[in-house]
Amino acid sequence: MTARAAGLSIDARTPVGDLRLDVALEVAAGECVALAGPSGAGKTSVLRIVAGLLEAAHGRVACAGEIWLDTDRRIGVPAERRRCGYLFQEYALFGHLSAWRNVAYALHEAPRAQREPRARELLARFGLADRAGARPGTLSGGERQRVALARALARRPAALLLDEPLSALDARTRAAAARELAGVIRDAGVPVLLVTHDFTEAALLGDRVAVIDKGRVLQEGSASALAAAPATAFVADFTGAVVLTGEARRGDGGTLVVTLAGGGEITALEGEPGAVAVSVYPWEIALARPGEAAHDSARNHLAVDVLSVTAVGSRVRVGLAAPQPLTAELSEASARELELAPGGRAVASFKAAATRVLPL
Amino acid sequence: MSGWFGVLLAVALAAALTFLTLPVVAIFAQQPPGDLVSALGEEGALDALWLSLRTTAAAVLLILVVGTPAAYLLATRRFRGRAGLVTLIELPLVLPPAVAGIALLAAVGPSTLLGRAAQDAGLQLTLATAGVVVALTFVAAPFYLRQAIAAFEAVDATLLDASRTLGASPARTFARVAIPTALPGLVAGTALALGRALGEFGATLMFAGSFQGVTQTVPLAIYDRFATDFTAALALSAVLVAVSAAILLSVKLVRGPDAVAR
Amino acid sequence: MRRLFALVALLAVAGCGDDATVSGDGGKPQIVVSAASSMKEALTACAPNFPDAGVRLQFAGSDELAAQIRQGVPVDVFAAANTKLPDALAQEGKLGEPVTFATNRLVLAVPADGKVDSLRALERPGVTLVVGAEGVPVGDYTRAVLAHLGPDRSKAVLANVRSNEPDVKGIVGKLTQGAADAGFVYASDVKATNGDLRAIELPAELKPTATYGAGVVKAAKQPDAAEAFVDDLLAGGCHKALLGAGFGEP
Repeated sequence: MTARAAGLSIDARTPVGDLRLDVALEVAAGECVALAGPSGAGKTSVLRIVAGLLEAAHGRVACAGEIWLDTDRRIGVPAERRRCGYLFQEYALFGHLSAWRNVAYALHEAPRAQREPRARELLARFGLADRAGARPGTLSGGERQRVALARALARRPAALLLDEPLSALDARTRAAAARELAGVIRDAGVPVLLVTHDFTEAALLGDRVAVIDKGRVLQEGSASALAAAPATAFVADFTGAVVLTGEARRGDGGTLVVTLAGGGEITALEGEPGAVAVSVYPWEIALARPGEAAHDSARNHLAVDVLSVTAVGSRVRVGLAAPQPLTAELSEASARELELAPGGRAVASFKAAATRVLPL
Repeated sequence: MSGWFGVLLAVALAAALTFLTLPVVAIFAQQPPGDLVSALGEEGALDALWLSLRTTAAAVLLILVVGTPAAYLLATRRFRGRAGLVTLIELPLVLPPAVAGIALLAAVGPSTLLGRAAQDAGLQLTLATAGVVVALTFVAAPFYLRQAIAAFEAVDATLLDASRTLGASPARTFARVAIPTALPGLVAGTALALGRALGEFGATLMFAGSFQGVTQTVPLAIYDRFATDFTAALALSAVLVAVSAAILLSVKLVRGPDAVAR
Repeated sequence: MRRLFALVALLAVAGCGDDATVSGDGGKPQIVVSAASSMKEALTACAPNFPDAGVRLQFAGSDELAAQIRQGVPVDVFAAANTKLPDALAQEGKLGEPVTFATNRLVLAVPADGKVDSLRALERPGVTLVVGAEGVPVGDYTRAVLAHLGPDRSKAVLANVRSNEPDVKGIVGKLTQGAADAGFVYASDVKATNGDLRAIELPAELKPTATYGAGVVKAAKQPDAAEAFVDDLLAGGCHKALLGAGFGEP
């Protein structure tokens, strides 16, 4: 089977309420595509069409060589026969069943005797062996998410659909869950379609990001490409923050020093030591020619390569590499003055106060 | 709360309590319990109790088997005319029992097409136990249906979706997810229907008649006896009160311990 | 707020008022008459014309009405479908001296197009028969009449009973609905159906006559008006109405 045939192919054109949905996506096996956009953009509708929970007026959905939907040929496989693993936003665990029974619900095709052991084994893999007999009502948010994941994966699905997987968690749990989720996505080896309203989440978990608004995909590509060269003002706005990863340690005077992956060191005023993600907004980054006097108030300076210069309205988005991808946004005048061009070098500066730190 | 308003509230409560509990207490207190028990042993009383039990059970079973899927359909699908259909189903709720009796006679009585067809097929409705079951089902079904519809409507639709993404057919989703999740509401509805069926009088008398062992249910037996054997009437009433209380209590227990406290 | 309280108080007082003391009809006293169901058509027609008082009628099986009076329900007149109940109440001191004011005949009623045509036919199995319950006058009369047939024939007829109705109108209803082949009711009841039912007269040796007795309830609020009504049943407008409905002279 070719890589393409093993993946998930979606083409949906249908009205959903007041929205006119028109989305075409390809997700390769083992790849995670994050569909990101504001609420009401139609992202959950796309998931539901793939899962067979929503009817499409026109569309085609194929996964791992199987055609699940083809309105032209009048093919529509019912939801229960599509091998989709669906993680619902609020997890949709069955409250009247214990955790392992929830997982076993998906194993109805397996011989009766095997159901409990397999369910318990799956839960153990998610670190929930001792909570297997508990009811969902007694589990924490993070535990519920893991049970829901285990349940979605129990049938060894051909595609994984995740609806805002991190949004129902508190900030603390979210970081650990994101790490875990990334691992699950990697190990699953199937096409994964993730839906989120948070671009940072999309950037962290998705190999590619597709920005959707009002039922249409506006731009598709890697998170950094979208941030660096947004196709529209909406995309520019939506892909606000720049995300860098690194290792943090305590510095002098209560500061946090982060050694960025690939090189470079920056200082932040908040956060805990350990693996972190650092986020800065493009318009908080000032650019200067290499060697020019650094801005006094900015504490963080990174030597960067200029990769791209894109005009967005009256502003200019500059794609940089530190070597981690970075984006700065300047006024037209500033960009002209600096004579920025792809292939050149510059110094990117931003304040420690503008540096947000998220545990990773 | 102090002052005259607090006193007013307390007086209102006392009045309501007295008004509602006094008749019930009087049933048990008016005669010595020994008399009540021996009155129950009388053959007609036992026949009435057994008949009420059989017919109510049959009616409730019928209601559950037919009503549960019907309520599920009405709760989970939106289609044109749905609101009208629901109102139609709930109509017998507000019908006075006598009107219900007339309605049944007009629909399946011996002078109607359906009634004659039933008779030809060997099913005797009027003056027969089957007729009692018909009357009980007619008056009690809306009590269950209304609760069941509400209970199924309250089931989170994403749970049903989740079930389907896990490979369960709509039928399996209904049985393994919808019903267990809606169960407290379904039980409450069953209790209401049970209570209504047990106490049904007017429609039964008009449609099925009153004959010991065949159509004379407990309420009819009470009516038959109250003028001539008040003790027997009291005894049967006491049994009905006890059964109704048991039904009410078990519903509260099924809903959970917090419901008992409520 | 004050207005609300005043309104509530006014309604409470108005509600507490006795029917007997709150006079309608321009000052005439009001009386409540408990009468057996078989007299429904006749009394409903004549009561509005009763000159001495406004009459409120309530109909039910005589035994049920007697039970109410025993429990102290304040009606003014009790008119029963037998003399047994008024006599019993008089014995208990609940009723004044009862008078016999009319008679009725127990008849075998069948639907106009029915297949049963005689008392004999009732003795065969397979006939659906509806009678009054024991304790209800029409039920007691029926059993007394059948007893005159002799134990075997009586038993054969009673074996066909499919319903013991608490009220004679219930028997009539079952017959007009076609639910039963035959029933024992009063001649006045058959007349009231205006042709839907046919009456088969019972032989005199079975003593099918029902004697109706009435009296003034001791707890009556308007004993004088009540007495006047009993007289009316005996010889006045209501007596004529009863005769017209098929009742007989006492």
